[in-house]
This record gives sequence, structure tokens and C-alpha cells, in this order.
Amino acid sequence: MADGSLRQRLRSQRLTIAGRELRVLGREKTIVLALVIQLFVAGFSGFLVVGLVSLYDPGSVDGYGIEAAVTGDASDEMLAAIDDREAINATEYTSADGAFAAFDEGRAQAVFEATDRDGRIEVVLTAPEGSIQTTLVVSESQEALRALERAERADRAASLEVVPLELPPERGGNPYFDFTYTVLLPLLVFLPVFISGSITVDSITEEVDRGTLELLRVAPVSLVQIVDGKALAMIAIAPLQAMTWLALLSLNGVGIANGAWLFALVTAATVIIVGFAVGISILAADRRSAQLLFSVGVLLLFAGASFLPGSPANVAALLAIDSATTATYAAVGGYSVGAVGVAGAVRWLVDRVDANEL
Amino acid sequence: MKLGTRLRRIWRIARWEVSLGSLGLDRRTVAAGVLLVALAGAIATAGVVGGLDGLSPSQDIYRVGISADSPYYDVVESHAALAPYPPAVDRLERGEIDLLVESRGIGGATIAAGGSGTVGLGGGGPSVSVAHTPTEKGAAALTAFRAAVQRYNDRTMALEPNETAAYPVSVQLQYRSQESLVPGAVDANRSAGGTDAGDDEPGSTDGSDGEESNGSGNGESDDADEGDGDPSTVDVTDGTDRERVDRAAGDDSILGDVFGGGGTEGSPAEISPPFPFSSLVLAFVFLVPMNFVIQAYGGTILNERINRRGELLLVAPIERLDIVAGKTLPYLVAAIVAITGISLGVGGGLVSVAAVLPIALAFLSSTFVGAMFARSFKELTFVTVTVSVFLTSYVFVPAIFTNVTPIALISPLTLVVMELQGEAVGLGAYFFSTSSFYLGSAILFLLGVGVYREEDMFTQKPVPLKFLDAVDARLRGRKSVAVAAALTIPFVFVAELLAIAVLFVMPIELSVPLILVVIAAIEEVAKSIHIYAGIERDRFDRSIRTALVLGGLSGLGFFVGEKFTAIAQLVGLPDLVLGQATLTPAGVTPASTLALLFAPLVLHTATAAISALGARRNWRWYLAAMAVATAVHAAYNVGVVSLYG
Repeated sequence: MADGSLRQRLRSQRLTIAGRELRVLGREKTIVLALVIQLFVAGFSGFLVVGLVSLYDPGSVDGYGIEAAVTGDASDEMLAAIDDREAINATEYTSADGAFAAFDEGRAQAVFEATDRDGRIEVVLTAPEGSIQTTLVVSESQEALRALERAERADRAASLEVVPLELPPERGGNPYFDFTYTVLLPLLVFLPVFISGSITVDSITEEVDRGTLELLRVAPVSLVQIVDGKALAMIAIAPLQAMTWLALLSLNGVGIANGAWLFALVTAATVIIVGFAVGISILAADRRSAQLLFSVGVLLLFAGASFLPGSPANVAALLAIDSATTATYAAVGGYSVGAVGVAGAVRWLVDRVDANEL
Repeated sequence: MKLGTRLRRIWRIARWEVSLGSLGLDRRTVAAGVLLVALAGAIATAGVVGGLDGLSPSQDIYRVGISADSPYYDVVESHAALAPYPPAVDRLERGEIDLLVESRGIGGATIAAGGSGTVGLGGGGPSVSVAHTPTEKGAAALTAFRAAVQRYNDRTMALEPNETAAYPVSVQLQYRSQESLVPGAVDANRSAGGTDAGDDEPGSTDGSDGEESNGSGNGESDDADEGDGDPSTVDVTDGTDRERVDRAAGDDSILGDVFGGGGTEGSPAEISPPFPFSSLVLAFVFLVPMNFVIQAYGGTILNERINRRGELLLVAPIERLDIVAGKTLPYLVAAIVAITGISLGVGGGLVSVAAVLPIALAFLSSTFVGAMFARSFKELTFVTVTVSVFLTSYVFVPAIFTNVTPIALISPLTLVVMELQGEAVGLGAYFFSTSSFYLGSAILFLLGVGVYREEDMFTQKPVPLKFLDAVDARLRGRKSVAVAAALTIPFVFVAELLAIAVLFVMPIELSVPLILVVIAAIEEVAKSIHIYAGIERDRFDRSIRTALVLGGLSGLGFFVGEKFTAIAQLVGLPDLVLGQATLTPAGVTPASTLALLFAPLVLHTATAAISALGARRNWRWYLAAMAVATAVHAAYNVGVVSLYG
């Protein structure tokens, strides 16, 4: 037999095994469950982002304004500071009694009692307790108080060694804009990678467990080919899933840059994780310890890597938000090289293992 | 059979299970585990030693053009999310940087490309002019830059020797109840300081005698020496000290910057909205060991089903429930030990343990059902991941809003956060947040035990068919249909809340009608799926009369379940969407007349009967009939909402 056709046959055997793995997944419809998880994560994170923004940012809730009651002998300064805040509308009260009466009747959501004392202004801020508005009232009032603080500091600039820096203007940018890119996107992109690795562990240890690996060994395929085929199937699905999510995100109006680079990053990460999974399932005693080692190991590696520059989550965020630098692209290159290295090492390892001893 | 005998059998199976489990972790696994920990530790140490600590996931995501001699350069340099770039107008126009900062003076940069703004001189300090790209990212970059300047100023001011000039304003934040109608199950005396602070009843309007200082977080400030007409001199007591510690803990992290820790005293920078950051992090720790416990547990259950290994136990003269109880016991004990250990570690008490216990049960029971339905370990992995993602977010996300809204109590984790903050947890609150978890877990276990038998364990049936088997196994006579419908309430409740959470993002014109329809659909499924299961498995005959009777019973059961659960008050969920949700105690329905009280009963029985009629034929007919029932139900919902709205 010619050497070329033999190689061809071996390759097609790998693809056959990979195809079988994918068909089993399709038949069990388990992949649907994975998509449901991600949909759920995406939906809940969206809920969280919108919820947080509406808690902290009055601009996101249309037509919402806070009525504030201001009283005390430093009222004028306080009123001037509040005047700059669009979301707060202040009314001056001559007595604290009047201000609190307004608060209790719901005509005001915040009471500022501002008094001059020893050259400072002391403010007692009263906010509604345990209500959905509390956070909003406190954070908006805090902005007004900070404006007051800045104005007072400017008046006392002569007594300061360092004059505080002037604040840039506010343009209503979303303070949670980066959440989508730095938390949600890495979660959606790397969850399929983790699941792929986990299924690889199952797929290999289950064959060992059920004793079906011996049957496969009777067929003219080597253990390396079997593992290759299984790994190939798992490496194929994770980047596809991740890309589907990115496409959905951009349909939702979240701009995603550097799609090709993200694909490369996810593919490299999948190869590394699946390689790790293969290594563990070959070395560990049984399914239970293999799964435990795999999940603990991946979590630890991911946590450990987040202390390094160019951690996978950060690289993905930088690529997607379009702030990538040469270092970011180099990191993707580094992961690709690492992936090739891991794949080679794992194949060497599998080649040395006797399938009958598993 | 005597209880003692049964308990002894459960105990024996549990011991057997433990002995199997301990063999699983051999020396090689342990060694590999230690190696992994060491490796991860080494990576982390390398990062920290290399001077790269404080890396955040948002590292360098905003590109700011700024020259190195600008007084703002330090601000950009020291902030994680901002990265300095060489300043150039054309780079901004090409989108290579997101924000351009120039500090030469007024009018330094007026750029057509996007929104630009200048700030005039103030107090002799340096002035700044900024321009950002006309994108959402550009605006967000400016917001981040503004916050960074503010924090930079806070840091420099902290070093000032002249404290009066550096901190010309001091603030004291206090909370005061505004509503006279306080939700029944919830402790209204919740304050930011964590301690249950004093008497802030509505109506104590006298602002002149210092009484409104109560609730400022100083638990002992009620009797503090406050001068008349001078409400701001409250001495710092234990409560505030702990507050400072909390805040310091929260400040280390990224989220701590965003949320703060609920400070109530100090300069304006130091106060923050009531956000239980550190307590939340600690509460999250409780959920971590669950994932490992359910992984092992799911594995052992599925193991029984492979190569008919479980047959030995099945043929023994032991009740199925006892087998399952015995196999579950070690994992439940492991979970309780972990919970107790964590509780001791983080300073929680009995309440924390009691609150996390139902969460552990929910994890175990859903894993059990998942392992009974799964056909392979691959499928089990999906199930385990789903269970942990789903339950973790379901219990964790509401807990974030602990101090904001009583709705947070739907999660038992909220109780943990409350205890860690030093708040009292009432029996009512405990009952409210845990009962659905206890009940739901019990029902899931019962469902799973129903299919813990030969014909389901060792066959490869599709999951929906197994589900029908499991439901059918729980049905006895016609009356059990009503009971089954009532028992779906906890799941209906969870599903409806999730639907709201997911649909919440949409614009309100779309989300409110959609939610009404989805809620109707969920309830219709809950009322009829067991009827379909019973008819498909030939437990009930296919006559029209039977279908009508079953539908009526199911609707009745559902109605009774809905009315007799405090939770059911929340099923008036349109209120939540409209932002008026309050937890009315059980039995106090908004319905003022008998007609209104019984309208839901008529609705539930009628729609369940429609679905049951479809279930007589086949799957397609069932779906079609349920669509009709859902339409009727949704129309009713819309009517009710427009009546009350």
C-alpha cells in the first residue's frame, strides 16, 4: 500500500470518529441545553446591567427626578451645588420641621440639612429607607455633595498644597458600558470552552468505564486516532458556539470588533483546555477523579491566569471592544503557540499509554 | 415497616456509599490535585511578584490620548481601565483613541469629530479640555475618566495637612422610612449601618431635637449626647467602625469601586448607597462547594444506571425511597459540613446554615432528577453545569438587591447577607424565602424516585418520555391530579420570575404584554402536563367526561395552591413590572368582592379543561388546545391588569 493512501485512510478514520461524536451529541440534544444555559446567562446579565443602571443612573429612567428639601444656614451653597444636577430639583425650607414634613408626605425624597460649623459645612442627608429609590437618591445626592465640596475647596485653594484637578464634564456615558465586554463576553465565549473540555473527559472515561474502548481497539485504529477524533469534535463546537454568541450580541447592538482574532483566541483556548482534559482522563484513575481534577484545574488555571498580563478574559475584552494593541495580538499568537505545544505534548503522552491498561 | 428498620437500612446504604466514594480518590488523584494547585499558585505569584498586581478584567480597555507632561497623566496611568496614548487629534478622528485630554487651557481642543467640551478655570487649578469619539464607547471612556479624576483628587486630598480646606464638607447619611404601609413579612427597620437602628417610625417629624439621627448606622446612637437643634453630632460607635472595615474590604476589588460599601459618614466621597458588598462576596462562598458536591453526587447516581449496577439494590427488599435517601445522605452531610465550616469561617451563624441548607437540597434534588434522566455522563455534565449556573444566578442575583427591595427575599441567600450585616432575620422572612426551596426539592426528589425502577433506569428513553413517566408514577386516582397541580406552584413561581428577569430588558410596551402571555403559558403547562402524562400512560381513559373532570380538578388544585401560598401574592406579577410590588401577607387579596375572588377559580378550571380535552387525542392536539387555553388566560390577565392599572 502506498504511503500516501495510508495517511489518507488514517485521517478519514479520525474524521469518522469525530463525526460520530458530534452525531451522538446531536442525538442526545444535549447541545441544546448548553445553548439554553448561555441564553439564560445572557438574559440574566442583561437584566442585571439594566437593573443596576436604573438603580444608579437617573438618566436611564425617563422623566424621573428627585425632589430635595434643603434647610439650614448653609442652604445657599447647597442649593447652588444642587442647581447643576439635572436630576435633582431643590426647594428651600426655612425650618427643618417643614423639610421633614415634606419628606414624610412624600413631596421630597431627600432632605439636606446644611449647617456652617468651624469653617466647614456639615450636611445631614436623609434618604428614604429600604425603597427602590434609595440607591438612586443617595448616589445623586452624593454627586451634588461632591459638587458642593469642589466649590468649597476652590474657595479654600489658598490653604491647599495641591490644588485638586478640574473635573472633566459629564456627557452621560454609561458607567456599565464595559461590563458587557469585560464580564458577559468572556463568560459567553469561554463557557463553551469549559463545557467542551468537560465532555472530552466524559467521552474518554465513559469508554473506559463501559469497557467499549476494548471494542474500538479491535478495529484498525490506534488510541491516538481515537483520542484525536474525539478531541477534534469537541474543538470544533466550542468556537462555533462562541461565534454564534458574538453574532447575537452584535445583532443586539453590542459592537464586536476583531471577530477573526476572537475566533483564533477561542480556538486556541479550546485546544489547550481539551488537551488538558485528554491528559487528565488518560492519567486519572476513574471518571469521578478525572472530572473533579478537570473542573478544579480549569478553575484554578483560569483564576491564576487572570493575574498575568494578557489573561484570556482581558484579551477577549480588549479585542471585542476594539482597544487591542500589538501586545494583545501577540498574546493571541502566544496562546496559539501554546495550543500547538499542548496538542503535541498530549499526543506524545497518549502514544505512550497502553490502551489495555486503562 | 417500622421506622427504626428503615433508618437502619438508610444508614447502611449511606455507609456503603461512603466506602465507595473514599476509594474513588486515590493517591495519584490527590497528588495531581496538589500539583495543579501549586501550578496555579505559581502563575498567580509570578504575576504578583512581577509587579502586576491589581490587574482587573477591564485592564486598558479605554484608550486616552494624553501627553506625558499633563497633570492628568498620573490619573490615566494609575487607573486600570485607562491606558495612555500619544495625544493627536487625527488619531481621535480615526478612532485610534477614544478620548483626547488636553490641559493647556480653554479652547485647546475643539474637535468636530465628536462631542467635545471644555471646562473653564476654577480656583487657579489646571483646566482641562476633553474630546471623545462620537460613540457609546467614547462617552463611556469620558465617564470612566471623570470618575478616575475624582478618585485621584480624593487621594491627593487625603495627604493634605489642612484638613478643613481639604474636606470642607462633612456628610452624615441617614435613612428614614417614608411609607406608612410596611410590607408584612419584611423587617422595615433596615438601615445601612447594619445594626437594627432605633425608632424611625413614620410621623416623627421633629427635625429639631436630633431624633432623626437614628438609623444612621450607629446602633447605639439613640442615647448619644446630641444637642438640641444639632442633629449632626453623632459620636462614632461600633456600628460605624464596622462600616469602615466593610468599606475597606470592598475597596480592594473592582466591584467595590463601583458599588462602595454603604458608608454613612465622612466626606461626600465616603458615603455610598446601601450595598452589602462584602457580605455578598462572603455569601457567594457558600455556593462554591455545592458545585463539587453535586458533581460527585450526579456521578454516583448515574453510576448505578450503567451496566445495571443498581439492580442489586433494586432487588433487595428495600423501599426505593430508602435507597435514594441512603445514597443522598453522605452528600447532604458533606454539604452541611461545608456550609457549617464556611459559616464559622465568615462569621455567620445558625441563620446562615439554616438558609443555605434548602439551597443545598435544591442543588442535590435537581442533580438527582438530572442524573435519573441523563443517558450518558456527557449528558450529565450538561445537566450539572445547567443546574449550577441556573441555581447560582437564581439565588445570587436577588441577593444583590438585599437592601433595596423586599423582593430580594425570594432567595435564601438574602438571609445570609442580612445575617452577615448584623440584621435580625424573622421567622416569617425565613419561611418566605426557604419554603419554595424545601417544597421544590421534596417534589423533585419524589419525581426522581418515581423513575427509580428497572424499566426507566436501565433504558435509553428520550428525556421528555422519562419526564412523563416520572409524572405518571406520582399519579394515583383522580384526586391526585388536583394535588399535583397545587404542587407545581413553586416551579411556576420560579419560572415566572425568570421569565420576567429575562424579558425585563425589552422596552416596556413590548415586555408587559409578552410577560402576561408567558405567565399564562407557564400556568397552563403546569395545570395540564400531568393530565397529558396520565392519559398517555393509560392511567385515565380518553372520554370527554374524564377529561373535563380532570381539567376541573387540576384547575381547582392549582387555584387552592395559589391562594394558600403567601408566594402566590407575587403571582400578581404585573405589579412587579409596574414597580408597585409589595408583599402582602397571605389571605389579604386585593379582591374586594366574592366575584373577584372566584373569578380566578373559574378561569383556572375552564382553561385546564380546554387543555385536558386536547390531551385526550395526542401530542399535537394537546399543544393546540393549550395554545387556546393560553390565549384565554392571557386575555383574562390583560383584563385584570387594565382593571387594576
